[in-house]
Amino acid sequence: MFNLAAVLAQVFNGIQFGVLIALLATGLSLIFGMLGIINFAHGSLYMLGAYFLWSVMQAIDVPGKFWIGLVVSFFLMGLVGLLIERFLLRRTYGQPEVYAILITFGLLLVIQQGVGLTYGTIPLPLSIPAILKGEVSLGLFKYPLYYLFTMILGLAVIFTVWFFIERSALGAMIRACAEDPETASTLGIKTRNVYTLTFALGAALAGLGGSLHAPMIGGLQHTQGGEILLISFIVVVVGGMGSVRGALLAGILMGVIRGLAGLFWAPASEFVLFVAMGLILLFRPQGLLGRKISG
Amino acid sequence: MILAVVLFFLQVILPSKMMAAEILIMALPTLAFIFLFGYTGQLNFGTGSLFAVGAYTAGILLARTDVHVLVTILAGVFLTGVISGIVGFFCIRQVGLIFALLTLAFNQLIWFIIWQWRSFTGGPDGIWGIQRTAIHFGIFSYNIKPSFNFYIVVLILFLLTFAFVRRLIESPFGQVLQGMRDSELRATAIGYNPKTFKWMSFVISGMICGLGGSLFALHQEYVGEHLAYWATSGEVVMMALLGGTFALLGSVIGSGVFIFLSDLLNRFPSLATAGGWLLIFGVILILVVMFVRGGLYGGAEAIYGWLKERVESSDKQTVTEP
Repeated sequence: MFNLAAVLAQVFNGIQFGVLIALLATGLSLIFGMLGIINFAHGSLYMLGAYFLWSVMQAIDVPGKFWIGLVVSFFLMGLVGLLIERFLLRRTYGQPEVYAILITFGLLLVIQQGVGLTYGTIPLPLSIPAILKGEVSLGLFKYPLYYLFTMILGLAVIFTVWFFIERSALGAMIRACAEDPETASTLGIKTRNVYTLTFALGAALAGLGGSLHAPMIGGLQHTQGGEILLISFIVVVVGGMGSVRGALLAGILMGVIRGLAGLFWAPASEFVLFVAMGLILLFRPQGLLGRKISG
Repeated sequence: MILAVVLFFLQVILPSKMMAAEILIMALPTLAFIFLFGYTGQLNFGTGSLFAVGAYTAGILLARTDVHVLVTILAGVFLTGVISGIVGFFCIRQVGLIFALLTLAFNQLIWFIIWQWRSFTGGPDGIWGIQRTAIHFGIFSYNIKPSFNFYIVVLILFLLTFAFVRRLIESPFGQVLQGMRDSELRATAIGYNPKTFKWMSFVISGMICGLGGSLFALHQEYVGEHLAYWATSGEVVMMALLGGTFALLGSVIGSGVFIFLSDLLNRFPSLATAGGWLLIFGVILILVVMFVRGGLYGGAEAIYGWLKERVESSDKQTVTEP
């Protein structure tokens, strides 16, 4: 019943889905490490990114419109993240984190329903660009080229982010702020600007994830952020909050587990993720690669 | 007592008596949330699933058996107590955000079970065939089918629960809870075991959600799996914030304003189709969090305090002037 090719295909699907989720989880994880909040609006930022891509593709009609849209949407989402941090979240710093979380919860509703009102509630079609259509043969099975492309692009982006955070001067500032904002600010780092940068980066990555995912599921809908948000939460918790490597590792791990569980019993694919999250929270609350957290 | 009178007239002011009943029913999980969040500092994102457990228990008993209505309500409360005992056992080991995420995970777990257990819970179809009939007390019987009669039952149960929670907060037990919220270390040093207290408060809060759920099954005469989905928990959180999380009265104010406004906004077709009313609630939520932390109740209290101060200071001026 389960031949090797089917299992391998599911593993590949799992990795591919995991990389996409890791795009969201990276931002979510960084925001958590720094601001100590879970961003409920992350799923809607993911969805908004896809809608920006769609708008750009509607507005211009040149051969490489998908690629232009991808880049434009990435930067637009960065701008959205910047505005959210500047005008909403910044006011809650120094107060219990619960309030910032509730603001992001309000944002979730505003963005999701706002998109529903502007673009309508009917799903909009978005197809895979012609150049990436078709399949490649990977030994035992054939694999869609677009899936392979998103996997590679996603991995490249995450490695770039990781490299930026671990090796660049600005990245060192981000890590310093995530570790101990007070000391970082006494050392002359403008912590607030670093927060803005992190939030903008997180939003841009989420938007990129949404843009890449949309053609795979055949189109856009304003409610599609909900399920993906829950999965990214799980990935962040399992991987360890504040850790980019953890987000990638847990994303791929959860993606593969989800894919394989779905092979045996389709509805179980979501269920196993929640069990995994529960177990991690109970026995290793800091996550697989996270630092020990207090409080 | 004043609350009882005010709430009695709620059904006269509002467009329908069933809406008034719904407000009081939804005020129950909101009360449970406020009790846990405002008085023990735990952010529970799992109220929706506990509410659903109560609704399904009462709903299944009502639709498939012949037991007494009050027994079904009690069964709903009891079973929710058991379930929240299990959920709480795991969740209270963590604090803050991790606690919130754990309750969210359990919320989805319960939703998943309800959604998948088709033979027992009806899965995506839900429970049909629930009927509000008469409550029999020996030779007397009280028909709860008319909305007014049903409202009275809901009102009595709500007032009893409200009085119970208020009494609980003032009791030594409640004082320990608030002490633990402010400093767990200090409470432990005095000799209280925080885990026991947290667990008990979680179970009590869960049972209140269960009561709300049982009544909701009677109210709707239908139970669906969407109740257990995390969006319901989110709605409860919104109601609590809207009303104010620092006072128990915030529960009924929050659910009242939420349900009344969503009904009102849904009357505009353009808003209803695209879920525009949720957009407005999102904006309200952000504004409340940014400017009026205490919600409507806290905001009203602040204005009242400010006015009182004005009046008092103007009194003083008239005294000192001559």
